[in-house]
Amino acid sequence: MTAEALVRATGVTRSYGVGALAVPVLHGVSLEIRAGELSLLMGPSGSGKTTLLSILAGLLRPTTGAVELCGVPISSLPDSAAARVRRDNLGFVFQTYNLFPALTALDNVAEVLTLQGHSLREARAMALRSLAHVGLADRTHHRPGELSGGQKQRVAIARALAGDPRLVLGDEITAALDSATGMAVMEILRGLVGPRRGVLIVTHDHRMERFADRILEIEDGRITIDRRGGHA
Amino acid sequence: MRRIAIQSLLHDRGKFLAALAGVAFAASLLLVQMGLYAGFLSMASGIIERTGGDLWVMPRGIEVIDNSEPMSGAARAAVSSHPCVRRVRAMVYTFVSMRKPRGTPDAVTVVGFEPGGDPIVPSTFHQGLPQDLHAPLRAAVDHLDLHKLQIEGDPIGASLEVAGQTVHIAATTEGMRSFTLVPFLFTEIQNARRLLHLADDRASYWVVDLKDRRCVDDVVRHVRRHADLDAVSTEAFIESTENHWVKGSGAGSALAFTAILGLVVGVVIVGQTLYAVTREHMRELATLKALGASDGEIVGFVAWQASLLAVVGGGIGLAQSLLIQASIAQAGLVVLFTAPVVALGLGAVCFMCFVASLWSVRAVLQLEAAEVFK
Repeated sequence: MTAEALVRATGVTRSYGVGALAVPVLHGVSLEIRAGELSLLMGPSGSGKTTLLSILAGLLRPTTGAVELCGVPISSLPDSAAARVRRDNLGFVFQTYNLFPALTALDNVAEVLTLQGHSLREARAMALRSLAHVGLADRTHHRPGELSGGQKQRVAIARALAGDPRLVLGDEITAALDSATGMAVMEILRGLVGPRRGVLIVTHDHRMERFADRILEIEDGRITIDRRGGHA
Repeated sequence: MRRIAIQSLLHDRGKFLAALAGVAFAASLLLVQMGLYAGFLSMASGIIERTGGDLWVMPRGIEVIDNSEPMSGAARAAVSSHPCVRRVRAMVYTFVSMRKPRGTPDAVTVVGFEPGGDPIVPSTFHQGLPQDLHAPLRAAVDHLDLHKLQIEGDPIGASLEVAGQTVHIAATTEGMRSFTLVPFLFTEIQNARRLLHLADDRASYWVVDLKDRRCVDDVVRHVRRHADLDAVSTEAFIESTENHWVKGSGAGSALAFTAILGLVVGVVIVGQTLYAVTREHMRELATLKALGASDGEIVGFVAWQASLLAVVGGGIGLAQSLLIQASIAQAGLVVLFTAPVVALGLGAVCFMCFVASLWSVRAVLQLEAAEVFK
């Protein structure tokens, strides 16, 4: 049985600028990201992978084409509705963590849950569980400035995980980490994959391939290779 | 969103204090300008307000207290004949020439009042008591006018030559100054008449206290039956005097203009400050947007920060304004902070912060969530 498609992109193009000055970045990309898979989107700098990730997440609109996220046509929704779809279905992990420096690790995770409508007490309890899941139960009251790079990334994963998203998206999540810490972070992400959940990570680090079920390679705005990863 | 907005603002103490300083400066600028304007109005009509009464009787055609003319005692009799009138007080108010102790010619405004009245005119004494004026040619001047009047050292017992006669200072007042910078010389009515060579039944104004305030219109009509007399309620006289000086002289308009200028400058300062604070948090805001925060929640982030800066900065600005008020009072400038002025001023500070935050709101609404990957 084929796993559920969490994201389905059909004929997605994206250009920056208008008219004669328009610079095409994506050329008719079509793909599916499925539950139960950790997929890597790989390609050299400027290949369009971050633009594609932004479009798949509903952060950018395609110039042409369509994107469905968990069955919802997110590319044609108004911004407010697209934000709700992201809130209910997506978790993000960023290269530079994007934690809130003023908040403790616990509140960095809890704040996102309050956006989903949970009370602060409830959100903190859920955040605590999520931080424990990534091995940071003893760092809940530390602020990002008091944590190592690996710990910050684990807080970011806990934040992405806390709302029980269908799809976790990561952008160069190991780029700012040393090799051992990067591998440990990937182990955690690998563990997030489940029958209802998928993970899509943009990277150009080939060492990550062994964690992947599927590898999509993009070059000059086109998916050139769609192959099985080392974990498949 | 409130917690994250406020904690983010407080996290960088240096930048928070700098932002707070900007808002506090703008708030104190605005409050002091408004206080100066209120002080100007109060000084223009202060004598009327302190003298009180329900209505004032004057020669026909007078619209402002400073343009007085003496009236005969017949006017008093005419007013007193109305059954609703409880009391009629005489007041002399006129400019006269004087010579300072070192011989410099100048002018004073002689304010002659009936002793033992309620309220007491002048109402606030810096040195001495109202009873000290109860002697021939005794007078009080404001303690801030002493330097202008060339009175040095202990003013009690000092003398001035007013309208060719020697007047002795028996008391000094506080906060009883004219914005025209012509000093008031407070003296009992008999002394004022003697200085001005007026008959014992004459006065510049008759201040009328009524048995029932509801009779004002009736008494006004009663007085106006006399072709050469006019009467207005005390509130109307205050208003016409203030309007005369505010609109007629241009000085009030200039002060009002500077108060508006203070508001504009405040909006620019606070706008720049808030915008800088918002720019600092753009990455966090983009992250919140990516994570699914609505535009309303993102605007809430800015609104909470603007509100905190408005409340704390406004409070500090008010404290600074009170210090400025105290320090410039020594220079004779009146900054008046009545409850309505403070309420209006703080309301203006909130309005200023609201308008100033619109730049930031526009910036965050234009923020692309995809910025989060840059």
